[in-house]
Amino acid sequence: MTTPGEMSEADQIKTFKDFLTQYNKLSELCFNDCVHDFTSRKLRSSEDKCTVNCMEKYLRTNQRVSQRFHEFQMIANENMLALAQKSPN
Amino acid sequence: MAMPQMDPAKLQLVQELEIEMMSDMYNRLVTACHRKCIPLKYHEPELGKGESVCLDRCVAKYLDVHERIGKKLSNMSQGESEDLTKVNIPEKK
Repeated sequence: MTTPGEMSEADQIKTFKDFLTQYNKLSELCFNDCVHDFTSRKLRSSEDKCTVNCMEKYLRTNQRVSQRFHEFQMIANENMLALAQKSPN
Repeated sequence: MAMPQMDPAKLQLVQELEIEMMSDMYNRLVTACHRKCIPLKYHEPELGKGESVCLDRCVAKYLDVHERIGKKLSNMSQGESEDLTKVNIPEKK
């Protein structure tokens, strides 16, 4: 076991992997949603702005979904506990 | 909720699987709700009010559907295995 507050190596690798996966997904999403014009080699300023907004918005989306998700998790856990206490087997 | 009488190694495997499945489900949830609630025009980085409300409802509905399908699936597989063996039904809300 690890000391509290410190991640095991496996956990750290998992976190890093999740980060990279998220990074790739974000690039794909924002590229597909923001970049449509290939008449120029450089990113247009509108494309640049769009991609940055896209990224920030996605992260905020994730944050909000995470909050709601955990609320539902908590309720589900409480229900499960109540159920287990009512009928111990 | 947990399965009774199982050696710790197996239990840990089941728990790891459960966590992995949860995070997969979570990722799909974020992708689905982002696709359904966030318009493709990224004019500003903030979430709009309508977008936020949409996300909240989307999460609730998604989890609702998830639960329903889970119940249906376990009913179906129970029906199939009921004739073969009388297993104790895993209690799940």
